[in-house]
Amino acid sequence: MGELSKKKILVVDDSDLERELLIEVLKGSGIANDFLQAKSGEEAIQILGTRYKEIGMILLDWQMPQMSGMEFMEAVVKVPQVAKMPIVMVTASGTDENKKKAKTVNPELAGYIVKPYTPEALVQVLKNYLK
Amino acid sequence: MMFAKAQNKELETFAQILSQSVIALFQERGQASFSQPPKLEQKNIYEYEGRMRVDGMEKFNNEATYISAVNYYLNAADMAKHKAIGVVVVYVPQDYLAKMMKTLQYPLFDDDNDDALRDSCGTLCNIIAGRFKSDMKAAGYQELEMSPFINFRNSSFSGVEFCGSEFQKYDLNFFLENNQKKMVIELSIGIVPKR
Repeated sequence: MGELSKKKILVVDDSDLERELLIEVLKGSGIANDFLQAKSGEEAIQILGTRYKEIGMILLDWQMPQMSGMEFMEAVVKVPQVAKMPIVMVTASGTDENKKKAKTVNPELAGYIVKPYTPEALVQVLKNYLK
Repeated sequence: MMFAKAQNKELETFAQILSQSVIALFQERGQASFSQPPKLEQKNIYEYEGRMRVDGMEKFNNEATYISAVNYYLNAADMAKHKAIGVVVVYVPQDYLAKMMKTLQYPLFDDDNDDALRDSCGTLCNIIAGRFKSDMKAAGYQELEMSPFINFRNSSFSGVEFCGSEFQKYDLNFFLENNQKKMVIELSIGIVPKR
């Protein structure tokens, strides 16, 4: 997992402010990776399609217009080149049933963080992969 | 011929849950307290062509208002068909939105930029709607599906989706800074089954 520390983190969220907050929190917590941003599932698919070799992890919102985070994840797990890429869901929708649904779609789900989150909770999940 | 609508008898209970969700969210996220308890008002829904009217001027006199809405659905199939069971609409005056988001520890943004203001109101609505959804489930109700947020400034010509069997809603008025009304949340929700 060590090589993930050299790769970029793709942040997918329709809220500019949530993306900014997430990156700010991670940078402030010593995560030195570069970031890519997408404000929709479709945009994230495009980025992933062309730059997947640069990307080591995806932080993914659930509720987004058109393609939701769950639909994005369903698409990703079907593509062998990116199927094992760690995905952390960062969502306002934080019930156990939602977590179960996410795990069903992606049994390799790297984490499930509920907004609003504490910086510690976010960093803890990422550090398991980025250290 | 008039048909009686199946009005949600638990509307007030749900409004109380939402009120507590918002108070808890502000305390946890920003250690912020409202300067007086929220004022809950039951009101009639103004419907136009099957959608609920959304108008900031009804909430804040003569102030530019940012408005965001998140819909709820009983399941994914209803969501695909836009058959909403409820909606949460958040109204915040333009001149207070940046301060409110700062209180909630979000990064500073350009408060002269319409897109940034819309986005921040949507972000606020999203976390409120998510917390309410979780608290509803904790109170024993069925898990709801949640839509992405949509944003408006001052009003929405086309209104928002709502549960068509409902004719009443709740306005939750929140007061900050010397008892000034700084946020209104509208809740319209139909019958949500217990788990």
